[in-house]
Amino acid sequence: MIIAVTSPPGAGKTHWIHQQIAQVNKPVGYFSPQTDSIPIDAIYLQSEYPQLKLYQTGEEAELDKTTTYLEIPWYLDLAGIEPLLQTFDSHRVAIIPEDTDSTELKTWADEIIPGDRIIKATTALQIHRGVLTGEILDFDSLATFWLELTQGAYGEVVRAKGIFDLVDGQIYYGDFRSGKSALEFKPLNLPRWLNGKPDRQSGFEIVGSNLDEAEIAQTIRDCCVPESAINYYQQQVKESLATELEVV
Amino acid sequence: MKIAVMSCIHGNYAALDAVLLDIDRQKAEKIYCLGDLVGYGPHPNAVVEQIRSLNIPTVQGCWDEDIVEGLSACDCSYPSLLAEKRGNIAHEWTNKEVNPEVREYLAQLPHTYKEDNLCFAHGSPSSNHEYLLPEMDAFTALERVLSSDADILFCGHTHVPYVRTLDAGQLQVKVRQPNQNEQPTVSFNTPLKRIINVGSVGEPRHGRPNATYVIYDTETEAVKLREVEYDYRSTCTAILDAGLPPIFAWRLARGLEFAEKADDPTHVCER
Repeated sequence: MIIAVTSPPGAGKTHWIHQQIAQVNKPVGYFSPQTDSIPIDAIYLQSEYPQLKLYQTGEEAELDKTTTYLEIPWYLDLAGIEPLLQTFDSHRVAIIPEDTDSTELKTWADEIIPGDRIIKATTALQIHRGVLTGEILDFDSLATFWLELTQGAYGEVVRAKGIFDLVDGQIYYGDFRSGKSALEFKPLNLPRWLNGKPDRQSGFEIVGSNLDEAEIAQTIRDCCVPESAINYYQQQVKESLATELEVV
Repeated sequence: MKIAVMSCIHGNYAALDAVLLDIDRQKAEKIYCLGDLVGYGPHPNAVVEQIRSLNIPTVQGCWDEDIVEGLSACDCSYPSLLAEKRGNIAHEWTNKEVNPEVREYLAQLPHTYKEDNLCFAHGSPSSNHEYLLPEMDAFTALERVLSSDADILFCGHTHVPYVRTLDAGQLQVKVRQPNQNEQPTVSFNTPLKRIINVGSVGEPRHGRPNATYVIYDTETEAVKLREVEYDYRSTCTAILDAGLPPIFAWRLARGLEFAEKADDPTHVCER
């Protein structure tokens, strides 16, 4: 069984899938087409549900081995995904904010879920992605950048999310939706990485308009810990953790 | 006598001009400046020349010191890698921009300046890099004022204005000695002391772009925090025209300052 889920950006696809997985008592899978380079939502969901089976591009034929949530990014043409849905027994869910006109989604869906209100961009949306795999970021720098980003310093942002390896060895999930006041960073339930450059995926995705991609990329680079300093910081964290253990 | 005290102009000439005009309207008889004339902003030479031409008693700020002695004076006080990189860009730009006379002027500025029962310092009497935050513990705050041998300590550096009164200050010292049950105790009271942070003229950090400074009446001891609107957009344009990072202009327009305060507010650089 495939449960295909789509919505406008920031309306709550991943959040809804997260809620559904919590209620399912059998093997569950997850696949999101064209997100392999930075599978932010997949990493987030698997950190919450370690048993979750993640499918990657090329594994589409196996999607029906589990109850699989197929998260369709808003920028994908629904007609393009139709052949895949026709292959399997599928249920189509559209998450639609009340004030959004979405005849196409309503026609396509078997089930409509009311979505979070979203702020509409004044011009056409663009996506800017960055792969940060192997990079370690300084948290205070990231927090400064994130504040500037979400307040419009690099263009009008309606949605931003990312997975970031930080100096303390933890990997953090960052989530911003325009109109939502919460500025969220939370450590994912994954092992600390304290031995050199992290060999696991991280990166970000920003949706908005008039994005200054060059400036965003440069600022993110300026948030990264130089390779020469990584070992120094990691040793400090290890010593600190060892001290905490002794105290306990 | 009414005096005006200002700080942290940071090469923002339009803000300085507006504050000087406001001081004139307030009929202050004397002006003092707590340093950081340069750094981040696009008009370091014009700001220094204006301060010099008005013979304003001025102490050296941390940015003034870094321009004279080199950035290594305290690059360890930045709160983040990003702030440090931006600070380096601002420092390099300013270092190239300032003319020899300006550098010479900044070099001869004193760290503190005292007049009657008033002391003027950029960060604190201990260091122009130290942040005297309003939430600093009272003992340390009182120690800083006592070390200045003044009743009123004017400071800047945090870019957020405040007045802190340290009244009925009682210090009690117990000396524990080995093999002695009795612990000699020494107590003494200190007279009322005050710390007055005058905010920032050219690089506000209070969420609005307006310049701040203080009017103090030496007779009534009344403190008036002044917030002055000015054409910050002209400074933003000048920042962009000068080739400084656009984020400096973006932050200035929102009263977010160009960088943030150090992670450790009482940090005293030992380099």
